[in-house]
Amino acid sequence: MAEPRPQSQGSERPTILLADDEHAIRETLGQFLHRAGFDVIEAGTGERALELAQTRVVDLCVLDVLMPGLDGREVLRRLRRAGSFTPVLLLTQVGDAGERAMALEEGADDYLNKPFDPHELVARVRAILRRSDRGAPSLTASSVLQSGPLRLDRLARRAWIGENELTLTPKAMLLLDYLMTHPNELLTRERLLEVVWGWEYPVGSRAVDNRVAELRRALGEDAAEPVWLETAPGQGYRFIGEVRREGT
Amino acid sequence: VSTLRIGVARIRTWRWWPVAATLLAGVIVAAAVRIVGGRLEAYATVSLWVALLAVAVIVAAVIASRVATRAAVERANTRALEQARAERRRLLLRLDHELKNPLTAARVGLANLTSLPLPEHAAESARGVEEQMLRMSQLVANLRKLAELGERPAERAPVDMAELLAEVETDLRDAPAGQGRHLVVTVSRAPWPLPPVRGDRDLLYLAFHNLAANALKFSDPTDTVEIRAFENRDHVVVEVADTGRGIPISEQDDVWEELARAGNARGVEGSGLGLALVRSIVAVHGGHASLTSREGAGTLVRLELPAA
Repeated sequence: MAEPRPQSQGSERPTILLADDEHAIRETLGQFLHRAGFDVIEAGTGERALELAQTRVVDLCVLDVLMPGLDGREVLRRLRRAGSFTPVLLLTQVGDAGERAMALEEGADDYLNKPFDPHELVARVRAILRRSDRGAPSLTASSVLQSGPLRLDRLARRAWIGENELTLTPKAMLLLDYLMTHPNELLTRERLLEVVWGWEYPVGSRAVDNRVAELRRALGEDAAEPVWLETAPGQGYRFIGEVRREGT
Repeated sequence: VSTLRIGVARIRTWRWWPVAATLLAGVIVAAAVRIVGGRLEAYATVSLWVALLAVAVIVAAVIASRVATRAAVERANTRALEQARAERRRLLLRLDHELKNPLTAARVGLANLTSLPLPEHAAESARGVEEQMLRMSQLVANLRKLAELGERPAERAPVDMAELLAEVETDLRDAPAGQGRHLVVTVSRAPWPLPPVRGDRDLLYLAFHNLAANALKFSDPTDTVEIRAFENRDHVVVEVADTGRGIPISEQDDVWEELARAGNARGVEGSGLGLALVRSIVAVHGGHASLTSREGAGTLVRLELPAA
């Protein structure tokens, strides 16, 4: 494993590496992030992004998935292989749940579908920076997570409470995965819908509520006195259990 | 010349061999009769059987040939249809891909602009642009979903239709469009409860919500909207009917197409993707969708889904 990277923590402005092959996006997004309080380094190719991520002090990478040459996913894989745990947010082009599950498995800290609301991007970036344990692997880079007696094997897509394995539909499992890898974060129904279904549609909040209900039933959770899954009335949901990587 | 051509074409496509076989069978029978001569009676039975056998063979051959032709035509049709669908999917995905980056850059650029102190009229324009940008983003997302729907199998779990339709009803009644409306949902319970449908609950919800919301949208507050679910052989049939404005007959085939909107739907908000989505959702569930409508009288959409 590589030496822990130097960190810009403590400095006022975190540094973001922004990689996208579209000049118009780098330019506008660079400005937006700068105004939101970040220093921005830009890369127009995956190769350049990888080089910068390994030589410069970077707090977080925003990588476009579809780039000619090394794509965002490959950059992420190589970073992780080299032992770098710099948080990564992927800008995906594909809405499909399998792709998104794969992105999380590969150790992306979060992802957004293009075209996205730039304020949402900043909110995601701040949330990742808040929970990132400098230099250590993030929850999304771990294959097994634990919260009290609840245990989630992210690669096998299986979950247990104590010895009892939970029976969950694939979508409920994906939802649990996202909630547990983003603890103490207020996740709106729209966000969860996009994450689990890859798609935001006007009548979708019902779908989220149904899956949350399924999850609560499986967890034996009382919505009035939750241990894991809290409802933020009129806003969304929050995973309130303390989440640990297995073996920590 | 053209008559001659048609004649030649007819001769070419004409199935000559059944007739030839009949003639051959006749010759064989005649020869048999001639050979046996006086012992005609004894061999008559044999000749008769030979003739019958020949006829049976010919009939079987004709039927087999017809069936084969029909199957070949059907195969070709299915192939052409699948090809057309695949092409459309590819087009939608390309469109989605090409629109995504400019839309992203435009949304971020606009956000940069609105973060500056703008005079009130400029801020108002910016809000208008933002609204339209959101509409486009939504359209792009829906187009992509449409393209994706055709590509992968839906989740397959038993879905209780009575429960699902009750949810659709509750959600529509709570929505502004459904308040005070005459909305009736009936689900057959006798002689046995409606069987579940195997599929993706969220997609099925979306399909029925779309249909019922359409019915409310294209009818007046005094009109009736009915949702009826019943079993027919091994299918669950759900009908969504309204006494609304209906669809002109010339446009009824087109309303299932992406971005199609009936001529009398102008002035009503919508993306023109609702019914296309419904059709795709029904298709990935192995079902069938059909529509009956009379302009000025109302519309009936019927979805048939295989029971679990």
